[in-house]
Parts: sequence; structure tokens; C-alpha cells
Amino acid sequence: MAYEYQAVHALDGTIGAIAERRANHLSVHRTTAVAMVLAVPGQTAEAAGILLSSGEFEARFSGPGEWLVLSEVHAPETLAAELSVRLGDFAFVVDQSHGRVVLTLSGPDAARILANGIAVDLHADAFPVGRAANVLCSHLSINLARTGNESFDLVVMRSFAEALVDDLKVMARSHDLSVDFATR
Amino acid sequence: MTAYRLASGGLVDRSHGIRFTFDGATLTGHAGDTLASALLANDTLLVGRSFKYHRPRGIVTAGPSEPNGLVTIGSGVRRDPNTRATVAELYDGLEARSQNRWPSLAYDIGAVNNLMSRFLSAGFYYKTFMWPAAFWEKVYEPLIRRAAGLGRTDLPRDPDSYEKSWAHCDLLVVGSGPAGLSAALVAARSGLRVILAEQDFVFGGALLSEAMPIGGEPAYVFARRVVEELQSSPNVTLLPRTTVFGWYDDNVFGAVERVQKGVAVVDATKPVERMWRIVAKHAILATGAEERPLVFGGNDRPGILTASAVSTYANRFGVAAGESVTVFTNGASGYRTARDLAAQGVEIAALIDSRPASGDIAPAGVRLLRGGAIVDTKGRHRVRAVVADRGGFEELIACDAVAMSGGWSPVIHLACQRGGKPVWSEALQAFMAPDVGSGLVMAGAAAGHYLLSECFDDGARKASAVVEAVGRSVSGVEQPVIGEEADPSFTALWHVPGAKSKAFVDFQNDVHTKDLGLAVREGFGHVEHAKRYTTGGMATDQGKLGNINAIGILAGMRGVSPAEVGTTTFRPFYTPVSFGAMAGASIGEHAMPTRRSPLHGWAARNGAVFIDAGLWYRSSWFPKAVEKSWRESVDREVRNVRENAGLCDVSTLGKIEVFGPDAAEFLNRLYCNPVLKLPVGKARYGLMLREDGMVYDDGTVSRLGDEHFFVTTTTAMASGVLSHMEFAAQVLWPDLRVRFLSVSDQWAQMSIAGPKARTILQAVVEDDISNASFPFLAAREVRLKGNLKARLFRISFSGELAYELAVPAGHGEAVADALMRAGASHGICAYGVETLNVLRLEKGHVTHAELDGRVTPDDAGLGRMMGTSKADFIGKRLSTRFGLTAADRMQLVGLKSVEPEKDMRAGAHLLKDGVKPSTINDQGWVSSTCFSPTLGGHIALAFLKSGRERYGEKIVVWDQLRGVETFAEVCDPVFVDPENTKLMA
Repeated sequence: MAYEYQAVHALDGTIGAIAERRANHLSVHRTTAVAMVLAVPGQTAEAAGILLSSGEFEARFSGPGEWLVLSEVHAPETLAAELSVRLGDFAFVVDQSHGRVVLTLSGPDAARILANGIAVDLHADAFPVGRAANVLCSHLSINLARTGNESFDLVVMRSFAEALVDDLKVMARSHDLSVDFATR
Repeated sequence: MTAYRLASGGLVDRSHGIRFTFDGATLTGHAGDTLASALLANDTLLVGRSFKYHRPRGIVTAGPSEPNGLVTIGSGVRRDPNTRATVAELYDGLEARSQNRWPSLAYDIGAVNNLMSRFLSAGFYYKTFMWPAAFWEKVYEPLIRRAAGLGRTDLPRDPDSYEKSWAHCDLLVVGSGPAGLSAALVAARSGLRVILAEQDFVFGGALLSEAMPIGGEPAYVFARRVVEELQSSPNVTLLPRTTVFGWYDDNVFGAVERVQKGVAVVDATKPVERMWRIVAKHAILATGAEERPLVFGGNDRPGILTASAVSTYANRFGVAAGESVTVFTNGASGYRTARDLAAQGVEIAALIDSRPASGDIAPAGVRLLRGGAIVDTKGRHRVRAVVADRGGFEELIACDAVAMSGGWSPVIHLACQRGGKPVWSEALQAFMAPDVGSGLVMAGAAAGHYLLSECFDDGARKASAVVEAVGRSVSGVEQPVIGEEADPSFTALWHVPGAKSKAFVDFQNDVHTKDLGLAVREGFGHVEHAKRYTTGGMATDQGKLGNINAIGILAGMRGVSPAEVGTTTFRPFYTPVSFGAMAGASIGEHAMPTRRSPLHGWAARNGAVFIDAGLWYRSSWFPKAVEKSWRESVDREVRNVRENAGLCDVSTLGKIEVFGPDAAEFLNRLYCNPVLKLPVGKARYGLMLREDGMVYDDGTVSRLGDEHFFVTTTTAMASGVLSHMEFAAQVLWPDLRVRFLSVSDQWAQMSIAGPKARTILQAVVEDDISNASFPFLAAREVRLKGNLKARLFRISFSGELAYELAVPAGHGEAVADALMRAGASHGICAYGVETLNVLRLEKGHVTHAELDGRVTPDDAGLGRMMGTSKADFIGKRLSTRFGLTAADRMQLVGLKSVEPEKDMRAGAHLLKDGVKPSTINDQGWVSSTCFSPTLGGHIALAFLKSGRERYGEKIVVWDQLRGVETFAEVCDPVFVDPENTKLMA
């Protein structure tokens, strides 16, 4: 008997193919390396220093002394181990590559669509590129990060991914949105 | 003809005719009309019947305070009852119907109430419909509601969509009259983020009906130019058709935008209404002022409007309220309306001024009665004449409309919604907004400035202060040139003495002066009591027109100032808001989110029937084609697990990883049982208490490293336990060096239970999991064949040899499939939560059916777990209090039905054999029940007084809901394998 464990994405079977991208687009990332980093109490500054100085990691604020770390460089299987080595005794690292789903919403109406479910001021002066926050989006808690003038990353718990996409479609009802898996 | 469309004038588009219907009759209006202005233009004065007496009523105002002109708009599923005709935008094909009349508006049976009115005095309902008490809900209330119904709603689902949005700004301006436009313009030119909300479908407020030119051009043209400039500013958001209805903590405002309420065809891609929550650093309320009606005999007859409404219909809509209008005023406003009408060529029957003298000048040729008053009106469905009284001399004056002005009240509602009480101004004879800080200020007429020039100045001044407060510099202030304005003052006249017929104070709830008198005489003179006693101010208009007069009348009767009477309490909402807007998009499947297990697809492929479990969908059971009932499936699954093996999805359990040098100490204080000495690689059952000593939640604690634990919670309490831990870490013991994180979604977790569980699992797991190397309660990382890291726990909820295997969520389905393939030859089956429940019940394990918040560890038979030698843990202190250790507490027992054909249901009570079925004789209650395929009978878990001493006793299970009594034998709650031989095998 051969043992191979094909991974299933939380949104497999719920997102159909699209003919073309619309003005606003929600892109679902198929695999993303995600980990949570929790600074050892009293070592927040040291952990932050290591984490934020490296270009390999995208560390997003997720609470005092807590970061949601995404990486394009490292694979889901190795990110947590790599972070553990780098952070040493300054932080605890937990792999969340399977526990989180990463979505990118982009387009001219991205901020307006999100304002239909998120109470945080998303004006570029108030929430500039690079800012991240744990926010309530409709009924769901997500980590929101601004990745561009007109693009945001939404990181949601895997079990809620389908509900979030359903909510986003409703939030974007008047705004011409397409949804697809990211190609890369 | 009486009311009619003037030959010219107004802001309506006379080239664009609009057809609409009222009570089935087809009428025509123009683009820019409200339903009210179009009805008036068609001489349709009678628009409804009053709430209590069913008196004929007509339109009174030209704005959102309208008490009478409430109609039902639309039909079928798009039927909106109680729509104010004065704010409803006219559109092609609009269907409107009058309300509160039967069989028709002109001939209304309910009008007999008017003749019966001496029996329908204030407080009538409370006095008459009191006894018998049981009649209130079933008989009286439905009858009263039917008779008094203001419009009806429909049950079919609303086909339209609604939306809720957040907005943020430096300055929110509410109202777009002279003060609002002026404020918005200064803020916009100074670079602030501005939101301007206007309830009307056209911006401009009072400027739209203003006859005085501004800067040499008509006022509405001036307004249009300002709005165009605002529209072109990228930092300004204009919200037309938007009523700001509430002011909440942190300067958040609630507003509802009627996106598609005035349209013939609804665009399905857009909401019909949008609820805004506006977070404003500052807000300026430029909400204007409300003209007061006058309280005189017969003041509710159709054709009697406020003077400002008459001016608005003439100037903005080009509609004359009548051919011959009597003006009754206590101040300058009536004179202004007289001038407006005279300018349009409308005849003025008389101008009656309640003041003996004033500096106001009546238009040339108009008959002026100083020191006069109206004491009665004539006419049936419309006013035909008024009875004027001057110095005791009565005179009948023929007319077909009356314009009344009782002075002005600033609209301060929003400013008083957070506890601030209005402040009486003797000078202005009005209640003013209290000082509520710099976050919200009043401007213009809302601040008591009634002159146009003052409004422009005040708006600019208040906005300039906001600009400076947010750290910017003011630019672009320029005030328009305005001609000389008349003194706007008035002399309060709360009611006209000597009324010859009912003088209404609250039109919508039919409260008249005599009702207030009765309230005072019967001891309900306090303004809040008078409100409830008379129902004045309790209708959907919330007394916007009538309350101030009621306060003045109460003050007069009690011989005190209105300041002493005070106002009733202001609360959201300013005007009614539809439930649709409040629900927003959270309806149907969007009412709450659903959670999907990572094994959902696996369960679906195996034919699972799903059940809602909180937000989760869990697999309930897995029917085979031949099975006709859920019981057949569950019985088979239970037998199969006990004989062979089964696989169940337990991914929904809460999973939390705990780290840190003090992690063990933290958990030791969190659980009532000891955790400190748990060895690495071992799991343990854990019981958490609340501070009051009752069980909070149970689960498992596994030690994966010296400073690394993995704990599970029940599905239901997953988020509660995490919050509880956060509280403990942040508030109770901030000195403990501990960190934790929910990892519930990272892992797909499955239980493999049954005598063949190890054999099947070993086929997939690389590591040796023999009993010797992986004994009961072992917990550690293992490697699956095919090189996948997983976590394996030898724990059991079923009493069988069992494991829980956790793999990264995305691989869950593939691993479950692999186990099913490996187990096929060993007879493995998929099983769901129903079977899980039967298995645990047979083994006497508790769930939240037992741990319902009233149960101590000892009650649940878990008293031995208490680590009483521990220095402290949550719940320790209060566990020893009197009552929690009493010997006759209800204790967990098992029950076996001794009547094989009879089942038991959770919630049933326990009685001693032979006693009268009554809760007085209550001995306990049943928490969980099932049919046990293993024992071949019905069993239950129950709580019974001193239960552990009563094994063997026959007891009555009394189910009053079903009217069933069942005999059962009390026994040990562990029905299956009490020696744990299967577990340890």
C-alpha cells in the first residue's frame, strides 16, 4: 500500500473557474507558509528585532508580542523550524500553514468593500501600506494587512474560510468582484 | 378645487410628469415632488385616519416629523407601512394606500370611537383591560392592536437586500441647510475628511424653500453651487436620503441611507437601504428647528398645516395649500408665510396673531387680527372655516386652509441621546442642547440662530473650531451677502383657552388637552408619567411636534416653568428604521458563519448526515442504504466500534498550545487536578472549574516538552476556555511567564476506537505503537508512513482501546482515507457524534449535558480528581463552602429502564416510587439518555440526591412534558467495562 497524503485546500470545490478577472479580485492562495510567533515574556523587543530585520519574513502584528508571519521564501513545512532557529530563546513558534487561509483582495473598490464589514478606518493615511491588525470582518476575526494602495491580505482561520469568502461576495455585491485561486 | 399646483415656481420639473396612485386613484405629480406635495397638488387633503378616534387627518408638515401623513407604499412583498408621505420621493408607478380605516378612507367605521370618546379617556386601556389578567395577552391586546393598527406588515420574505457600512471622518455634518452647508464648505476647503448627511433627497434644507435671495441669486441656486463644489472635493462624502438616527459611544453615529426607496425599479445588485456607522472625530448638528403646531379647538382637520410647511409647499414644490388661507401665528413666522403666499398670489383670509402687539408687518391688503385666536374649526373631511375669537367676540372666517405657527424648537434630539438633558432657554422659549463637549456641537437654527445670516456665520464658526482642533488651518471662509431679515421672535402660546372642540397636542396618538388635564388630576403630572398615562409622544413620530406643547401645558397646569417640567428621555432612533436595515446582510445563511471541519469532505464522501453543532457542521451518523432510521445506523456503528473499530472526526475540539517556563504552573492553577508532574509524552484528563467551584470545562492535557503543552477543550467551550486563559494570564497571574495560542484549525483530528484500533493504526504509523511502547495515555509526535509528521494520543472517550491522531488539516482527508483503507479488512466503520454520544454514555463519561454549570466535580463523580493539596487553583476556595459539600447533593448515577419498551428523555425528573408526581417531591433529573445496543436497553445518566448510596433502588422517571412515567433502576454510571480492561488492552 502506498502512502501519499494529497493536501486539500479549505476552499477546494467551492470556487469555480472564472473567464476573466473583474475590476476587483479576490485571490485565494493555494499554499502559504504561515506561522505564529509568540515572544517569550520579557523578550518582545529581541524577537521583534530578529523578525523585522529579515526580508525573508513578512511579520504582521497580531497582538502584543505576537506576530503572524508569512513567507514567500520558505515552504510551509520548514518555515516554523527556520523561525525557531532564528529566534532561539526569544520566542515560541507554531506552524499555522494548515490552520490559516490567505486571501488577497485587490482593486479600486477594495477598501470600500471591506468597509461593509470592518470597522477600522482603511483610509491610506490611517491604515497605510505595511500596517496590519486583527479585526472583525462581518462575523469573523481575521488578520488584515494593507499590501498596496488598493490591495489587502486577509488571513482567516481555515474552518471559516468558506464563510469569509461567502461574506466577502455579499460585501462586494455592488462592486464587481471575481474570486479565483492564485495562479502561482 | 382648494389645494392646487401654482402656475409657476418651485423646484419640481414640470416637464417631467409622474403617474402614481393613492387608494387606487391614478394621480400625476412631477419629478422633485414628495408624495405629500403631489397629493396636495391633486387636492387630496384627507390622507389617513387617526390612531384612536379615527378622525380624518391630512398632511401637517413638509418634513420628517409628520404625524398624520403615514401611508403604506408599495404592494405585495415590497410593502412599506407607516411611510411618511412628506419625505417619500415620488416615482413613476408609486402605489400608496391610506391606513387605519375600514372599509374606506371617507367612510370609516372606527370613527364611531370619536363619538365614544368620553369613554375612551387617557388611561382608558389601563383602567378597563386590567382584569382578568389572563385576558390581556389573549383577548384585549390583539383586539386593541387590530383596532388601533397603524399599517400592517407582511410575512413573505423581503426580496431586497440591505447593507451595513462603516465610514470615518474628521467632521460629520448632519443637515445641509445654511448652517450645514457653510460648515461643510469651510471644513472641505480646509482639507478635512468630511461627511455631509441629509435626510432629504435634495441638499439645501431650508434654503430650498427660502424666498430671500442669497448673494443676488435664488437661495436654491446658491445651495446647488455649494453642493457642486463639495461634490468635486475628493475629501468630501455626500450622503443624500440619509437620516442620522443615533449618537453612540466614541462619537459613532448611526445613519440609514435610503439608497433605492424612491425608485420605480429596484436594482438587485444594490441595497435598498444602507445602514452607516459613522466614526466621526467631530460632528456638527445643523439639524435646524421644528415649527410647533398651535393647540386650538379642531386643530387636526385636514387642511391645517404648519406655516413653514405651507411656505415649503408654495416655494419649493409650487403648490398652494388652499385658495384662501387663514394664518394663525404667535410670532414672525406666520407673517413670513403670509408674504410667501401673497407673493404667489394666494388669497389670505386673515392673519391672526395671538400677540396684542408686535413689530411684524402684514402684507399689504391682508386683514390682521392682533390678540386673536382660533377656538374652533368647521368642515368634515377638510377645513371650511375657522371660528376666531378676539376679546370674547367670535367670528366665522371662511377659508380652505390654515397655516399655524407656534414658534420654533431647535432639533436637538441626537445631542440628548447619551444622557445629556435639554436645557430650557427662557429667552428663546425653547429647550436647547446641553453642552456635550467638543465632539458634538450644534450650529444654526439647531443652536437657536434663526436668521439666515446667523446660520451661515455659525456654521462657518463651528467648522473653523473643528479645523483647528484637528490641527489644520482654516481657509476659504466667505459669507454670502443677504438682505435685511425680520426679527424671528415669537411669544409662547402653549394652547388656546376656550377651545370649542378637541384641541390636539399629539396628533399621531390622538392626545388632546383634556387628556393632559386628567393626567395631572390623577397624579400623573410628572412629564414621564404624563407620557405613559396619555401615550403622548409614544407614537412613531416620538412626539417631535407635540411634546413641547405638552410640556408647556403641563407647566401651565402645575404653575411652574417648562424648565421645571423638563423633557422625556431622548433615545435612538430619531425616526423609524426598518428591521431590514438593522439586519443588513446578516440574514439567511449569512445570519451566522458556518465552520467546516477539515474532514468534512471525507465525511461527506462516506455518506454522513450532518448536524449543526454551534457554528460547526458535524457528521451525525453514516447511514447504509438498507437502514431505515437513524437508530439503526447508530446501533450498528456502536456495535461495530465495540467489536471491530470505528473512525470519528473530532477536529472540532478546541486545541490550545501552551508554552513557557511557567506553563506547567499556569495549567496547574487552571485545572483542579494536578498537572505539574505530568511527564513529557503523557496525556491526562483535565477538569477546569469556575471561581465558584462549579465545573467549567473538561478536556485533556498533554505534555509535549518541558515547557510545551497541548490541551484540548470541548467543542462548545473552545473560545470560552481561551478567553478564560487570557483572563487568567493577563489579570490573575501576569507574573507567570506563559504564552498560548489556539491551534484548533491547524489540525485534523480523528479518533480511532475499538479492539482493532491498534492493528489498523499500526498499518499507517511508522513508529512502534505496541502497548509496551505506546501505553494508555501516551502522547507524542509520530511519523506516518509516507513521511508525514503527526501527533498521536492514546486517549479514549468510548471505553475502547482508542487513539486520537492529529495531522496537518490539509492532509486530514487523505489520512482518514488511508486509515479506512487499512481498516477495511478489519471491519472499520465511520461513526458520527450520535454514536460518540452512545459510546461515552455507556462508559459513563460526562459532557456539557452533565456539566451544566450547577455541578461540582464530586457531583459528577470526579471528586477524587481535586488536587486539594495544591496551593491554589481556580475554584479551590469556593469549593469548600457550605452547600457544595452537603451529603444530599444530587450525584451522577446511571439509570437502566426496567420496562424494556419504554425509553427515557433528558430533562425528566426523578421521583421515589409511590409519591405524587410533583416538583415538591423532586429527587433529581435526567441529563442524557440513549438506547444502548451493548446492553440491549434504554439507559441514562442522571443526577439523584445522594445517588451513589442508592444503587439498586427502583425509581420513577417522570416526564411531564410527554406525560410518561418510566420505572428505572439506579446503578453505577459506568455501564460498560468498569474494570477498564478494554481500554488498557
